[in-house]
Amino acid sequence: MASVSPAIAREAPRRIDAETVLCTAVLGVVAFSVVFPVALVVLQSFQVAPPGQPAAYGLDGWRAAFAEPGLRAALVNTLTVTFARQLLSLPLAIFIAWLLARTDLPGGRWLEFAFWAAFFLPPLTVTLSWILLLDPEYGLINTALAWLPGVGKGPFNIYSFWGIVWVHVITGSLTVKVILLTPAFRNMNAAFEEASKVAGASTLRTALRITVPIMAPVILSVLLLGTMVSLQTFEVEQVLGIPFRFFVFSTTIYDLLVTRVPRYDAATALAVIVLAAMLPIVFVQQWMTRGRRYTTVTGQFRNTPHALGAWRTPALLFMLVVVAVVLGIPVVFAGLGTFMKLFGFFHVKEPWTLQNWATVLTDDLFLSSLRNTVVLAVGTAVAAVMVHSLIAYIAVRTRYAGRRALDFISWLPFTVPGVILGLALLWLFLGVAILRPLYGTMALLVIAGLISGMPLGVQIIKSALMQLGGELEEASRIAGASWWATYRRIVLRLMAPTLVAVGMITFVGAARNIGNIALLATSANRPLSILQLDFIAQKKFEEAVVVACIIMVISLVGALVARLLGVRAL
Amino acid sequence: MADETVLRLDGVRKLFGATAAVDDASLEITRGEIFTLLGPSGCGKTTTLRLVAGLERPDGGEITLRGRVVASVAPRVFVPPHKRNLGMVFQSYAIWPHMTVRENVAYPLELRGERRATIAPKVKRVLDLVGLAGLEERPATLLSGGQMQRLALCRALVYEPDLLLLDEPFSNLDAKLREQMRVELKVLQRRLGVTVLFVTHDQIEALSLSDRLGVMHRGRIEQVGPPRHLYEHPGSPFVRDFLGQTVVLRGTVDTPEPDMITVKMAGGLTGRILAGRAAAATTLASGAEVQVAIRPEDIVVGAGDGASPGRYSLPGLIEALLFVGDRYEVRVALGGEHRILLLLPRTREWREGQRVELSFPPDLVSVWPA
Repeated sequence: MASVSPAIAREAPRRIDAETVLCTAVLGVVAFSVVFPVALVVLQSFQVAPPGQPAAYGLDGWRAAFAEPGLRAALVNTLTVTFARQLLSLPLAIFIAWLLARTDLPGGRWLEFAFWAAFFLPPLTVTLSWILLLDPEYGLINTALAWLPGVGKGPFNIYSFWGIVWVHVITGSLTVKVILLTPAFRNMNAAFEEASKVAGASTLRTALRITVPIMAPVILSVLLLGTMVSLQTFEVEQVLGIPFRFFVFSTTIYDLLVTRVPRYDAATALAVIVLAAMLPIVFVQQWMTRGRRYTTVTGQFRNTPHALGAWRTPALLFMLVVVAVVLGIPVVFAGLGTFMKLFGFFHVKEPWTLQNWATVLTDDLFLSSLRNTVVLAVGTAVAAVMVHSLIAYIAVRTRYAGRRALDFISWLPFTVPGVILGLALLWLFLGVAILRPLYGTMALLVIAGLISGMPLGVQIIKSALMQLGGELEEASRIAGASWWATYRRIVLRLMAPTLVAVGMITFVGAARNIGNIALLATSANRPLSILQLDFIAQKKFEEAVVVACIIMVISLVGALVARLLGVRAL
Repeated sequence: MADETVLRLDGVRKLFGATAAVDDASLEITRGEIFTLLGPSGCGKTTTLRLVAGLERPDGGEITLRGRVVASVAPRVFVPPHKRNLGMVFQSYAIWPHMTVRENVAYPLELRGERRATIAPKVKRVLDLVGLAGLEERPATLLSGGQMQRLALCRALVYEPDLLLLDEPFSNLDAKLREQMRVELKVLQRRLGVTVLFVTHDQIEALSLSDRLGVMHRGRIEQVGPPRHLYEHPGSPFVRDFLGQTVVLRGTVDTPEPDMITVKMAGGLTGRILAGRAAAATTLASGAEVQVAIRPEDIVVGAGDGASPGRYSLPGLIEALLFVGDRYEVRVALGGEHRILLLLPRTREWREGQRVELSFPPDLVSVWPA
């Protein structure tokens, strides 16, 4: 009856070895594309020979870097902007998350969705909208205030330190914290708060003495994540900082490289300093979230909301104002801006026109950029779904020895600021001979998008896989399906909505990506996101805002689709 | 062929870190029997099942399925799960939510390269068998818990596996449905003659379903045998206490006759003597500290008028009396320090505070080293 010969049984271990080979190959490719380029940047900072000469190593680059006064200013500016952003956004985000998750504030779900949508607004679009309001000369708010007695000239200037901080707070800093903190606040057991109230504490005292301290680890973790995210930006400073010669590290690196004589030594030295400064944040963040990363609080408990009572209406009004600032104003004014004859000038005679759209939509430059963006976004999304799901699957489902390393490396791009990743990839593709033909092609930009989207994509697929439970796959294995058949017929089918959602998010990310690809794009592969930056640099704000508006629509539609497919948190 | 061995485990070990989840497990399962692994959670029974299924790799020993080595450390052999021809019902049922009832059952047949024409009648036959006929096109997510379990069973049986693995399949059902499914499963198994390896922590399930069972404790299989044998002749204190209720009293050996040991009771029971047989593989000297064990249902309860105490009996006092319908649950104090729970028939009148005389029939008492 035992019909299978031992010979077949003996073949089995080799198949498992094949699995190990596959996992190792994935780990190798991911490590090569994430770790190796960054290592090259570090190495390059010690390279002193001029381009084209044999490599020679020394500290000249570092000496030059430290001698450069602009570099020190850039680091100081980066620190102060980051600090100011976190200082303003964290208390506000905690308050908003508490209102959304722990009180009977009406319309909580819609408000939360508004923050989710606002998170997907491209920073450059938001920046352009707020220029319309806060430009020192013609900004709407300034001109309105100038009418008031005693106010000679509008008091606000968006081209300033606080202007940059303001735009950052309302684009990234606040929204990302709200969408991360709200679910965490919601999962807290209400019994802690109820016990405090029974003991005689008021709602406010309970929030300050019980809720916030209990949530302290989550809050700190979100703060660290927020700090890392805030180091990613590039375009806000590029648009608002350049006019008054205000540089942060990312714009400095860009400035050092996009000149007639690129200063690779100083740029790479600066990048290494920033990466080194990131390390402690990375380790603390990893240490804090270890073992707790996916264990959302579940189980049997009630979540009774606090009654806001008389504060309900003021609280709702406050929330509506915040949503108007982070979502309403940017969307409306980005739309309005596209129809202005002269960007920002509301008081001229007949300010409105359709000419901007006509100009842009018939521009060959625009059409080729649009084509590039479509290729870039679709290519990145398709590649991301395949690569990220493979990484997530190995990390969650296999016993592969290197799966933790793979997991960690897939998360690393999150900690590498976009411009530095761009610099690293530039170095990789110019420096390694066999990769050089890829420079200037869409493939290079797709790879950049793939890497920068990796942390989020892998995380989302991982959490979906973990909810799926392993038994569905094990049942298939026992029913007679090979690993590959199980992956195809069970895993992929069940994961389809999540994978489409990840595809959408990556699509959006690639369409609006600036920091990662600013150094990689050439006139041959320039997508829309870089085109708008070029328009701004040429002071063609009317064209820029049309492109920005198009990218915003792409982003919002993508975010909406992802949300409908069930991606709730990051 | 009657005694053909379907599954053999030889010294199988599985380590998780430094701890052995399964430690030197050996057993044989013959064709057509239901073999149960019983033990508390964390005893290694599910790991053993997963080792058999090929979902885990052993760190030692050898697993043989129908004469074919499927997992072994030296020489290194590992047959992946899909080449073992096993059926398995998971605790969560693992019904694929993106398929209909028919697709779930047809899946293993498709993987075996069967033609559409032969798949359809097989699916129909197995669904008929468990009463799911007519639900073929229903999405699997719209089934009730009991239906899901039947479907999981169909999916595991449709390709006539060499061995059916059941991982706590009843634990997600409510009590009534669980009893019903237990009977259904046994009837079905007898009809099909399929060999079953069943894992549970529920002793009632284990005792009622199994032809033989093995009790696992801390990764080791402590004792293997037919349910009744294990219940009446437990080989270790763990098996004794895990299977059913046990009343355990302390004393010292008076006369250590091999087939009848008499024990002097201590404390508040001083002066009383019980007798019993020595527990498996123990020799006891006179004066040794021992435990006297008996199943509560074997104790004979009589009215304690104090007139003529039986030869091997203890005086008791009813402390609490709970009428639960078909019987009384009674807490009885023995000599002031022991309290035992007994079930008494409702054919007699009992009251709280009543004195009773408890007789311990020597052939049902076992004596264990303390």
